[in-house]
Amino acid sequence: MSSRRTARQALIVCRKELKDSLRDRRALWSILFSVLIGPVLIGFMMNRLADRQREADMVRVPIVGLNRAPTLVNWLNQQSGVRVVEGPADAEKAVREQRESVVVIVPEDFADRFRASRPAPLQLISDGSRNDAQPSVQRVQLLLQQYAAEITSLRLIMRGISPAAVRPLAIEQIEVSTEQQRAAQILTFIPMLIMVAGFIGGMQIATDSTAGERERGSLEPLLVNPAPRIALVTGKWMAATLAAIASVCLTTVLCAQLMRLMRLEDMGIRLEIGPQHVGPILLAVGPLCLFTAALQAAVATLARSFKEAQTYMGVLILAPMLPGVISSLYPLGNSPWMYGIPMLGPFVLLTDVLGGRLPDPSTFLTSAGTCLVASVILIRITTALFRSEHIILGR
Amino acid sequence: MIEITDARKRFGSVTAVDGVSFVAKDGAITGLLGPNGAGKTTTLRMLYAVMKPDSGSVRVDDVDAVEAPQEAQARLGVLPDGFGLYPRLTAREHLDYFGALQGVDSGRLAQRTEELIDLLDMRAIADRRTGGFSHGERTKVALARALVHDPQNILLDEPTNGLDVMSTRAVRTIVRRLRDEGRCVLFSSHVMQEVSALCDSIVVIASGRVVAHGTANELRHQTGCDNLEDAFVALADLDPGEQP
Repeated sequence: MSSRRTARQALIVCRKELKDSLRDRRALWSILFSVLIGPVLIGFMMNRLADRQREADMVRVPIVGLNRAPTLVNWLNQQSGVRVVEGPADAEKAVREQRESVVVIVPEDFADRFRASRPAPLQLISDGSRNDAQPSVQRVQLLLQQYAAEITSLRLIMRGISPAAVRPLAIEQIEVSTEQQRAAQILTFIPMLIMVAGFIGGMQIATDSTAGERERGSLEPLLVNPAPRIALVTGKWMAATLAAIASVCLTTVLCAQLMRLMRLEDMGIRLEIGPQHVGPILLAVGPLCLFTAALQAAVATLARSFKEAQTYMGVLILAPMLPGVISSLYPLGNSPWMYGIPMLGPFVLLTDVLGGRLPDPSTFLTSAGTCLVASVILIRITTALFRSEHIILGR
Repeated sequence: MIEITDARKRFGSVTAVDGVSFVAKDGAITGLLGPNGAGKTTTLRMLYAVMKPDSGSVRVDDVDAVEAPQEAQARLGVLPDGFGLYPRLTAREHLDYFGALQGVDSGRLAQRTEELIDLLDMRAIADRRTGGFSHGERTKVALARALVHDPQNILLDEPTNGLDVMSTRAVRTIVRRLRDEGRCVLFSSHVMQEVSALCDSIVVIASGRVVAHGTANELRHQTGCDNLEDAFVALADLDPGEQP
């Protein structure tokens, strides 16, 4: 049996599996839904975050006892993006009931103590459990600190002391990551989404064409054809890989569109997925799709039914999520060894690509190489399973 | 021609096939008759090379099916136990898929598909998905799929099981026709009337062994029973009256 014939038979199987799965409307919709829900949800969340950032830039400062601190109010009003308003009567209640993010209370003895150069009390009412109020609270805190610093300088000058004397440190923050890199760190979920999309995309074919075929009893007639097992397994694997890649493309395009819509620049984030990124993204994720499809097919072949295979897939899907989850808990960095691990390599590559930093070609090769070797091993295992009478005839 | 010699197959502690030997000749319908669990399906599976016998040999047209299973399979058309159709593919697509895997070139395949659609009277269902097919319609598709590459040897595992009278007749007509074309047809069944009506030669199998081999008349003669059913029961050693 020539290898050319084997290749042709693999293509025949691949074509049939793709056609068969495209007709499974229900499964198709469920894949589409699972693939799209992630980016849409994330997009929605990011949009809310950006809105809040914009709100914080234009901060409203409710002050109880406006007339007790006219200089402070004047100063605040001169700052850009700040609007001082009369504070509510019951400040604590207003904050607790989330009517206000933050309220400043000027106590009655404020003016006296201020004039006497003693620490003048100010109360800042906020709710630490409310994440959405944090930008406003931090902004007001910062404004008050700036005001305090200016008063300090003025008082020191009046007493003939250089303000520099009370600034023993001159701290200057220098951020080394590019804006896109910082954005990619925040958006670690996008590589994860793309990887999960690859997994979900290939899952249907990988399970239906192995466990499903066993369950339907169609495996036996298929094996009666004079085709080597490797041709059948390779064909099924190719079909699953193609579906995975299609799913990756879909998610990438969707994420790119969302990025454009979300106006991330408002958050100080500049992240774009442009046409120039498509090549590197596919180079990073394509080999991963080969690997996940091979893994899914191998595991699903062990299952007696489609349902059983689905349960295994539910556990297996944690694998492409793991690098994303770990990296959000503590930064992974990018050591050379990472590229040699099938799930991790593509993740690090994706993070780099989306971070606007094109990785070295050798890292692409390392990652693709290990994914390919792992895939070949898994296909060999699946082929061996397809030879086992226990697997092909046992139900 | 199909030849199986002293084939044995065990599953764990159960011996499913225990030294089966027989020859199914070209231009003849050979019936493999036996009660449920006698080892018919296992025997057939060894013949169409999805199972390897633990010992013994299987030859299809002088090709060793154990040594060269794919070469043997290219000479076989098989209707396995349970049809295993793809519910989302049409009848025609089943023929396309299996024909392509068998290596039939596309021009010949299109022609052969039309022949089989006419032969099996499937014109009305040819382009419908098999998901909603009746048992009879599914049998036709599975049979057409087995014949798509024009095989010399045809193995049918209980093809008329559960079929209505009309469909059973249609299957019988086709089986006879295949025989008249000079092909070797091996047909398994647990229904003696079916086998006696159709087969030129009958192999009776029970508990994994061949207990008798001959024409219907020879079997009657051998057992001294006028009635084939009695002969079958006697051969299959199922008659409770004979048990001590």
